[in-house]
Amino acid sequence: MVTTYLHRSSIWRKNLPRFFQYLILSLFVLIVFVPIVMLVFGALKTRGEFMTRPYTPPIPPRWENYAKILGMPSFWIMLRNSLVVMLATTTGVVFACSLAAFVFARMEFRGKGLAFNFLTLGLMFPLTIAIMPVYLVIRQIGLTNNLWGVIVVQIAFQLSGNILILRGFFMAIPVELQDAAYIDGCSAFDFFWRILLPLARPALSAVAALAMVASWNELLVPLVMIDKDKLWTLPLGTMQFQGQYGQDLALVAAFVTLSAVPAIIFYLFAERQIVSGLTAGALKG
Amino acid sequence: MRKSILFLSLLVALSLVLAACGPTPAAPTVAPPPTEAPTKAAPPTEAPTKAPEKVTITWWHIQTAEDQKALWQKLADDYMTAHPNVTIEITVMENEAFKAKMTTVMQSGNPPDLFQSWGGGVMNEYAKAGMLKDITADLDKDGWRDTFSPGALGVYSFQEKNYGVPRDMGMVGFWYNKDLFAKAGIQEPPKTWTELLDDVKKLKDAGITPIAVGGKDKWPGAFWWEYLAVRIGGKAAFDAAYSRTGAFTDAPFVDAGKKLQELVALEPFQDGFLGATWGDEATLMGNSKAAMDLMGQWAPGTFADNSVDKKGLGDKAGWFPFPTVEGGAGDPADALGGGNGFVVGKNAPPEAVDFLKFISSVDSQREQAKIGLSVPVVKGAEDALTDPLLKIVQQGAAAAKYFQLYYDQAMPPAVGSVVNDSVQGLFAGTLTPEQAAQAVEDSAQQEIK
Amino acid sequence: METASASEDVLDSPRQTRSPRRVQDNLTIVLFLLPALVLFLTFVVYPILQSLYYSLFNWKGFGPAVDFVALDNFKRILTDRIFMKAVGNGLLIVVLSLTLQLPLSLALALMVGRDLPGRAFFRTIFFMPYVFSEVITAIMWLILYNPDPERGFINAVLILIPGVKPQPWLGSPAQVMGCLFVVLTWKYFGLHMLLYMAGLQNIPQEIEEAARIDGANRGQLIRYITLPLLSSTIRTSVYLSVLGSLQVFALVWIMTLGGPVNASEVMATYMYRFGFVRFWLGYGSAVAIVMLLISLAFSLTYQRLVRQPDYLSGI
Repeated sequence: MVTTYLHRSSIWRKNLPRFFQYLILSLFVLIVFVPIVMLVFGALKTRGEFMTRPYTPPIPPRWENYAKILGMPSFWIMLRNSLVVMLATTTGVVFACSLAAFVFARMEFRGKGLAFNFLTLGLMFPLTIAIMPVYLVIRQIGLTNNLWGVIVVQIAFQLSGNILILRGFFMAIPVELQDAAYIDGCSAFDFFWRILLPLARPALSAVAALAMVASWNELLVPLVMIDKDKLWTLPLGTMQFQGQYGQDLALVAAFVTLSAVPAIIFYLFAERQIVSGLTAGALKG
Repeated sequence: MRKSILFLSLLVALSLVLAACGPTPAAPTVAPPPTEAPTKAAPPTEAPTKAPEKVTITWWHIQTAEDQKALWQKLADDYMTAHPNVTIEITVMENEAFKAKMTTVMQSGNPPDLFQSWGGGVMNEYAKAGMLKDITADLDKDGWRDTFSPGALGVYSFQEKNYGVPRDMGMVGFWYNKDLFAKAGIQEPPKTWTELLDDVKKLKDAGITPIAVGGKDKWPGAFWWEYLAVRIGGKAAFDAAYSRTGAFTDAPFVDAGKKLQELVALEPFQDGFLGATWGDEATLMGNSKAAMDLMGQWAPGTFADNSVDKKGLGDKAGWFPFPTVEGGAGDPADALGGGNGFVVGKNAPPEAVDFLKFISSVDSQREQAKIGLSVPVVKGAEDALTDPLLKIVQQGAAAAKYFQLYYDQAMPPAVGSVVNDSVQGLFAGTLTPEQAAQAVEDSAQQEIK
Repeated sequence: METASASEDVLDSPRQTRSPRRVQDNLTIVLFLLPALVLFLTFVVYPILQSLYYSLFNWKGFGPAVDFVALDNFKRILTDRIFMKAVGNGLLIVVLSLTLQLPLSLALALMVGRDLPGRAFFRTIFFMPYVFSEVITAIMWLILYNPDPERGFINAVLILIPGVKPQPWLGSPAQVMGCLFVVLTWKYFGLHMLLYMAGLQNIPQEIEEAARIDGANRGQLIRYITLPLLSSTIRTSVYLSVLGSLQVFALVWIMTLGGPVNASEVMATYMYRFGFVRFWLGYGSAVAIVMLLISLAFSLTYQRLVRQPDYLSGI
């Protein structure tokens, strides 16, 4: 294998100097980082400094903006709302999707194909298109201005994609395992609970990670469903904050950075899960 | 895996802590101060000798500037001290966010007790939908009505019933930077439209941005078209169009568009003006980056709040009225303007009206005038205006024989938004004056019945 | 294989007498499908059906819908210049994504290849923008795009080049779509690159070996081996990209509100403005239906054209 490696890399080196590759890649790293860095710098300046020297490093860094935001109870309320919605949505998604995916992967019944196609039709009704009619239904049920309204809608629209992903994973679990379990007298539920789920943990955490990111960043659903500012989630609150304090760019930058911190932390912890969840579809058999 | 478990448990712990600190999501509404419930049950006529029940008043205003926000808070605090059973919950919103919020609030049928209003057609819609409280009787009591200048009060009435009171009435005019004008060699502010265009050229030659405008918000630009229509067509033109005996495609409105095109052709605005908000516009003026701004009486306050040093134009500021248009039928003293006031929501307790009285008292108006928050509408408070420019504005507004409320407040909201959109098209050069006028006319035909 | 026959027995017995196992299985199926099905029917299917109903009315959202206008709403939509612009912009984003963003992601994925040292680092960095919400991204770039060179980084750098004036960017009807596309690319190119990297992993090294032994140079390698073997990944990427492009909302709404003068209007902002800002719920429902049909048309055409079953079909 070592010879293969050397053989391949020498081919690469002949055609595209590695230096050149790294140059281009570094350029893109820069492009990714510049906006983020600008924001962080801006947050560490005073309002006046931001207006007069917006893109030099902040020396000395001024922490008042961060202090001010962290001292605003509304920030913590928004954080809490986002957290609650995210945890509830993720639990719901993992729960409902694993149950349904199991049925489609491992059980037979009449009309199974039809039911499955029906559910995957949901992929064609993305949230952005359906939000208007969904708002009407939520209003009819009386769940507007209620975090549960946001939660159930988010779960409902993440069903199709995640059932697909989980079904793929479940199908990969060897049939022999299931047969053996049945022979031993396990019911389908037992098999599901005691054997399949523990085995499918990587898949479940991938789905969970995806659901968490999607829910945390969701703007449209809370924007439409929620009026009361005590129920705002973080993206909604960020948008409103920017609208209100738009001219105080340093403060806005601080708010935005703070609201991005949880997402970043989460990303660093769960990158592998997120990646595997997303690529589950691309890796065909 | 272990990392994820650690993270997950951290998350759960964090959410438990936060959940313990606040209301649960399962409650249909996040628990407001516990006094809210009894408020709605309180009968409207309460014998004054009864021990006062705890009452909460929700108050929405749009003064985000620090000193103005503080004044409202102080007035609320003063009232609460004098009336310990009353709690006033203030929500401060930015202009555009407030307008957006009002649409959804009206839909849900649950307006706040006291909220910002510009009167006119928009307020009329709310009244028609039964969202506002009729305070005609309250105004008649104890001569409250007579403390207001009648013209201003009239803006907040609909079909002979009053739904709110004004706190501020002024006119739109040019706020300009005297230093920048001097730099460009302009001795005096322009009196005619042609002179204005000349001055724009002089400013450009001197390398100064002549005009600041917030194209993204649309309404700052609409002022230009509306004022041109006022100067060219006068009261007669608008009255005819609005009463449907004429139309918005009549000559004055098309001509207004043509004149505006002349101005736009000179490229007098700041870079990227189509994407600029009112906030951006005010920041430019406040930091002396642009020479003039066609804006209402709230301008100096916002200029200052948005400037780097929080001082704004200070004594560099000047004011001149909208120039006359040669051959126009309008009177030079005609004014486009409007004001601000508060209207009362349908569910408001009687204490809300009482509080409204409090903030419209002469003393309160004087405090507002002092910081340039309001151009007073209560008699006796005008002399508290410290800003000489605002005094000029106030006198101009009071003296105008034809006072036109901004179109997007005077007419139903749908027509107003078409006006704003169409004028933006004129600024961007995507609509001809005829097309813009036609769009407004079409909308008026549909909405004004 | 006694085991096998036993299981087949159990699994293939739909028409046999109701053994306890069968009943239990049926119960399991019903119970397991229930949560997903209930949520799906209530919040995905029913709303669509309801909006079909409301789209035939002129309805401001108060009380019952009474002003029946049949297909008037649809007529208005299809003759509205602004809606056409929105559709056009949607298509523009799709085309730009397919011709610029996807090839870029592919090129970067190929460059990083399978074994470039620091590969994981690059992947982490490039994927990071995906994790930021659209709100955060929009505000970030709003600050960068400020036309005043003293406040906006992009113009500040631009005017360092002699003779170049500061550009209006988001304030220019001509430039605004391009600016928005840059932001979209910034946010999503990492995702596509990730997909391609995963796809590349799956290409057996032996095939590349064989091709190289046969004397293929790098260009031929990519063209005849890599790309065809990546085709299912590319198809997924294209599908996601197009659907995503047609649905973009938050980014546009926060940065431009669909302006200036509707220059950056997209279908989602159009629907939001009419449905939630002006509260023309009947009209908004009609717009939702039209958007749905467009999206459906795309999905079906795509399935038809592509013809190979991939994970998106229900099999």
